[in-house]
Amino acid sequence: MLNHNTLDEILNKYPAKEKRNRKKHILIKNITQENQEIEANTRTIPGIISSRGCAFAGCKGVVLGPLKDVVNIVHGPIGCGYYAWLTRRNKGVSKAPMKNFLPYCVSTDMQESDIVFGGEKKLARTIDEVVQIFQPQAITISATCPVGLIGDDIQAVARSAREKYGINVTAYSCEGYKGVSQSAGHHIANNGLTEHVIGAGDMEEAPQKYTVNILGEYNIGGDGWVIKKMLEELGYHIQAVMTGDGSFEELSNAHVAELNLVQCHRSINYIASMLEVKYGTPWLKINFIGIRSTVEALRSLALYFGERELIERTEDYITRELARIEPQLLPYRRICAGKTAFCYVGGSRGHHYQGLYEELGIETILAGYVFAHRDDYEGRQVIPNIKSDSDSKNIPDLHVAPDENRFRLKLSPERAAELKDKIALSTYAGMIQDMKDGSVIVDDLNHFETEELIRILKPDIFSSGIKDKYVVQKMGIPSKQLHNYDYSGPYAGFEGALNFARDVAMSFASPTWNYIEPPWAHRPLLEGTLVKGDMENA
Amino acid sequence: MEAIKTMRHSVIENPCHACMPLGAILAFKGIQGAMVIIHGSQGCSTYMRRHISEHYNEPIDVASSSITEPGTIYGGSVHLKKGLDHLIQVYHPELIGILSTCLAETIGEDIARIAAEYTVERDMGAYPLVSVPTPGYGGGHSEGYFLAVRHIIARIARPVPKHHRINVIVPHLTPAEVREIKRIMDLMGVDYILCPDYSETLDSPFARPYQKIAGGGTSLQELAMMGGASATIEMSRCVETHLSPGRYLAGTFEVPLYNSPVPVGIEATDLFVNLLKELTGQPLPDVLQRERGRLLDGMIDSHKYNAEGRAVIFGDPDMVLAVSSICMENGIVPAVAASGVHSKALELEMQTLTAGRTDVATVTETDLAVIRDLAVKAEANIAIGHSDGRYLTEREGIPLVRLGFPIHDRVGGQRLVSVGYAGTMMLLDRITNCLLDSKLSAYRPRMLKKYYSEPSGKF
Ligand code: SF4
Ligand code: SF4
Repeated sequence: MLNHNTLDEILNKYPAKEKRNRKKHILIKNITQENQEIEANTRTIPGIISSRGCAFAGCKGVVLGPLKDVVNIVHGPIGCGYYAWLTRRNKGVSKAPMKNFLPYCVSTDMQESDIVFGGEKKLARTIDEVVQIFQPQAITISATCPVGLIGDDIQAVARSAREKYGINVTAYSCEGYKGVSQSAGHHIANNGLTEHVIGAGDMEEAPQKYTVNILGEYNIGGDGWVIKKMLEELGYHIQAVMTGDGSFEELSNAHVAELNLVQCHRSINYIASMLEVKYGTPWLKINFIGIRSTVEALRSLALYFGERELIERTEDYITRELARIEPQLLPYRRICAGKTAFCYVGGSRGHHYQGLYEELGIETILAGYVFAHRDDYEGRQVIPNIKSDSDSKNIPDLHVAPDENRFRLKLSPERAAELKDKIALSTYAGMIQDMKDGSVIVDDLNHFETEELIRILKPDIFSSGIKDKYVVQKMGIPSKQLHNYDYSGPYAGFEGALNFARDVAMSFASPTWNYIEPPWAHRPLLEGTLVKGDMENA
Repeated sequence: MEAIKTMRHSVIENPCHACMPLGAILAFKGIQGAMVIIHGSQGCSTYMRRHISEHYNEPIDVASSSITEPGTIYGGSVHLKKGLDHLIQVYHPELIGILSTCLAETIGEDIARIAAEYTVERDMGAYPLVSVPTPGYGGGHSEGYFLAVRHIIARIARPVPKHHRINVIVPHLTPAEVREIKRIMDLMGVDYILCPDYSETLDSPFARPYQKIAGGGTSLQELAMMGGASATIEMSRCVETHLSPGRYLAGTFEVPLYNSPVPVGIEATDLFVNLLKELTGQPLPDVLQRERGRLLDGMIDSHKYNAEGRAVIFGDPDMVLAVSSICMENGIVPAVAASGVHSKALELEMQTLTAGRTDVATVTETDLAVIRDLAVKAEANIAIGHSDGRYLTEREGIPLVRLGFPIHDRVGGQRLVSVGYAGTMMLLDRITNCLLDSKLSAYRPRMLKKYYSEPSGKF
């Protein structure tokens, strides 16, 4: 176990000031302490190798990228767009294959002359060409670093393109230097989608009973499909998924849903809150990763609508599914029992996967987020206590008002009060609450700390992304990528839990590890005895 | 030959190259004990690390000065200096590469000046900080690669007494190819300084304990000696003069420069070993003779299948040229040869290589959308290039032989060998087998259709 002395030893490698800084981002869970505080969403220390990305990555890469029938133009030099091209394994199918733009990377490829003379004209020309080639219903423009610096007015370009073509064109000033990580970009994308896209459709009413949106589900490895299938089987209608396998058409009518389900709250909680104000749509935090979480999510959802028949159908479904998968899980559980994990991912998954690990018998002894805020660690109730700083202030909050025509109170205050004790309505718990005494919580874990903590805590498996994957594997420890799932998945729902169990167990059980020690390390391969007489002859 | 000048349209649809700093990182990976810090906001370095890691399946530790909005207004030198402090304290690198990004260059950061200031302020003496201005809009990754190698040499090479060693500058190959080139030179008894030598660092063996900085790379001592070498072999026909490390060594230290092509294909390998023979006076060892013989034997076996090949080739200019020559040697038409970056040299070299042919199109400064159109027009039946070209297979059914950088959807891109006689044989076999695969899978249905009107019978 990690104690404060060993932690100090690690941090002593830093200059004094940085040591103080990093110390605030690392916690050892102490159950005798009620509200343990952590620092998060502050600047990355220069020169320390962090896994964080930029606002552009959060905006275009995470939130806008998965919209399949939208052409996402990257306005900037070629690199940024190129690196954000199809790198997230967000799956998408399209009824109209010619309108599935996911495989495309479109960039304005700014050159030195554009930096000097401005890139607005080139952007406008690019839009013309995109309309000509793809004829999309919607276009987004994401700015990368140089754009803001040279003062291109991308909002104006978007506006005139909207007028010229009568299609939905939105611009996002998500230059990479904004905020301190991709988190800033999520917020920027949330603002743009709320202001210009959601509600742009002409539906006035939910098309059927139990209409919900799923927010913060990006369909990595097909997770969204599992969730959708499950909910549809139970009688829900999914209006829009934000944004995995999402489409402009569905998203523009997302205002009609009766409830918003929030999976990855870090990247999308802004939309959830704004839609509540604007259209009166309440939001419910759910987590479809892990068996117990999935059960809880399905129950909360049924309880929200409150109809007997729905509740019963849900219970039946749960019983059936558990009976189906539990026996299949057994062999995997046997392999996984007693193992330990590090779980360092994104802004929600670092928490979401702990339950699933536990269900396999694996204890998470260290967890953290790359770009989360304090509320993701401590729970949503801390938001009023979070001090804003110059970095968070430069991402404007969008203030929305109730929509004159479309606001409907979808949940009475009385019913809301009643439900609040039972389900996670408009709230989420933090990671810290759910962790065991003595476990470690690290914000913005860097490579140096990763290596040191692995040496001390010796986890059996490490969940994170590709940038640390190979460090971990070179240390002889299996890794399980939880950004792109190592080309596997889906991991959501009951089905996904089974896939995850198989993948993790297979990592432990692979014979590969047996060959690390060569046979000659401990004993000679050939054994011989000295036969009398040999010496004389020699 | 028809050299198509791309109409430089505004939209780049599916790019065929990455940006400058990425290539520079790769170059620094070939220097012993080196680390890199990128001056800009952290997104660039994170993206590039991800991108490189996924190809090499290796940890790629690259630091960033992590500039945020205030830094774009007041300048980022404080961030960079702090970043250097931390990098040195935690990793103790032997050399640090400082790269700039679009952001840094746009706000006018002078990384060379910041590095000089830092050296004085921290009393660093001769500690090697090597700054390379690499704005992403300044060029593609292949250009960033050569520029970094040139800057590294310019910073470290000293005027030393003449010696008999030979400088060998390699373009962006695979680590396994660098090992193969070293094997050939070892066989021939050549005393060389190879730069940048990422043969171990970017394909490091599993070993305990884990090293924060992978072992291997061209050492500082070797770099310092490069100015006194008896010759430089620069394996690049396409590098531009102002980026060429060999030119620098020739201009500054008068080291004679031999610009050889990448030794892919029998002709280019012949040129390479012949050059080594002449420079060292050593005969061609028997092992290599036999490897050459085996290659010839294989080429004779395969030429009849390859005569049907019409290839679309894309990637870094030097790689495109190398693959085009191997195609030409065995009867495959390099129907489309394309690079994402601008390269006059590639166009000229292709002209020489394919003189007299009218069925070859060379295009540079282009994207995969244009390449796809050209490939369809040219009725290409095989694609050779990096994995971003997979959509030629998905959309047009043109099978792809993966080669170059990046290869993200298959493992082993770092272990492919296409240089030397043995490597050429391996590449040619991969190409031939790809053509055979298409042929065999289409052969029966085609015969069936042609000779049996009733498509019910089975062979
Ligand atoms: S193009 Fe410029 S800004 Fe974009 S990743 Fe490359 S260096 Fe960074
Ligand atoms: S230039 Fe800016 S937007 Fe582009 S990758 Fe770098 S930090 Fe992100």
